[in-house]
Amino acid sequence: MKNSEIEQRLRQEAKALLEQGKVDCIIGYETGSLKFTTTPLITRNKDDVERLIVSPFIVNNLSVYLTEIKGKVGIIAKGCDSRSIVNLIQDNKIAREDVVIMGIPCPGLIDLNKIELSLGKDRDELDNVTRDNDRVVITIDGKEKDFPITEVLFDNCLECEFPTPREYDVLLGEPCAPVKSEVSKKTSIKELEAMPRGERWNYWKEEFSRCIRCYACRNVCPACFCQRCFVEESEPQWVSPTPKWQDNLMFQVTRNIHVAGRCTDCGECERACPMNIPLRSLTKKMYDIVDEQFHYKAGTDKNASPLLTAYEAAEVEDFIR
Amino acid sequence: MNQESERKPRILGFLCRWCSYAGADLAGTSRKKYPANIEVIRVPCSGRVDPLFVIKALRLGFDGVLVSGCHPGDCHYQTGNYRTRRRMAITKKFLEYVGVEPERIQASWVSASEGGKFAEVVTKITKELKEIEPNRLFDDEE
Repeated sequence: MKNSEIEQRLRQEAKALLEQGKVDCIIGYETGSLKFTTTPLITRNKDDVERLIVSPFIVNNLSVYLTEIKGKVGIIAKGCDSRSIVNLIQDNKIAREDVVIMGIPCPGLIDLNKIELSLGKDRDELDNVTRDNDRVVITIDGKEKDFPITEVLFDNCLECEFPTPREYDVLLGEPCAPVKSEVSKKTSIKELEAMPRGERWNYWKEEFSRCIRCYACRNVCPACFCQRCFVEESEPQWVSPTPKWQDNLMFQVTRNIHVAGRCTDCGECERACPMNIPLRSLTKKMYDIVDEQFHYKAGTDKNASPLLTAYEAAEVEDFIR
Repeated sequence: MNQESERKPRILGFLCRWCSYAGADLAGTSRKKYPANIEVIRVPCSGRVDPLFVIKALRLGFDGVLVSGCHPGDCHYQTGNYRTRRRMAITKKFLEYVGVEPERIQASWVSASEGGKFAEVVTKITKELKEIEPNRLFDDEE
């Protein structure tokens, strides 16, 4: 099904939900102020549903708003977003009946930065970017240019396991298959693991020297829902408020451990980072550790106990004396 | 200076009050010998230990951290130590990936009757930590 058809169905669905009073509010995407980009649309007005759009640029994980909005909510969710919603249900942050999930099977989102890099052009110079199965067609000055999706999708979309939502009330479009392509670049986990340990530490030290501790990574993360984050505590003060690399790294490592078993690899933290720190090389590693050690994949089963509150009597113990 | 270097490595121990802390106490009352490198914080349950405590200890310059609780099945609160086990497993793996030596993160089960085991654990950990570099991970160069 084409995006435009999905869009039409979505608008009908959203309008019906608001008119029938099944939800108080709709969370979706509308056209953003910069070319190609989209921005979240949160509305209680049924006339606004005409502004809802579906495109290969709907990057935001909207489930981050669920804990802040009161009342029943209709929300648009891609595969990873739906898993974040399931997490919130597992953690009792929201009730299943308070949310109507409009699922969108997501064949992967297009990374404009990758296109800009490979073309050497600014996104404003591109006329059109469209997805056609395994290709992405870019129009510049009337000429068309073809890219295989493996070159232009976000890294987390290339490694996505569940492109079709795991939990939904209505599914808009047909289920789609994962791209299943391995990402190999300088900052990928494999490359980092091949480094000697000391070098790896220095690598992260270097990366986190850039961090300005804006907490954008934390604020976009639907798994980071603490009312009061440990970095803001003053008695005791766990991390110094000045953005020293030591405290930056400590913050990020602890954040990753705190969201272990909740991170769905949606990639929002890395996209939100204004300093381009390869955060996904940390979050994906934690995702893999959790999977490897406990065979647990975040947000795949709403009836499962959250990873860190559950246990099995016989489990990894080789590191304990 | 000499005294200072003798105290290296410095280990921070989080001991559960029902088992490991009593075990450490027993090690003392039964005059078992173990290195004085460990500094102990008594916690109500090993499940009280947030991985943040472990990372903070490393940030403060401790060479190693020991989290010790009751044997599986013996937790005073039924399940606290099982949760610690999951948490410490991912913490250790993840810190290793970031570049922390695995020797710095230690865990053990020591019951209230295992004074000897506690002395043994501390001796072994101290020895292991002596073999690796002192913790300079979070040092400032300036």
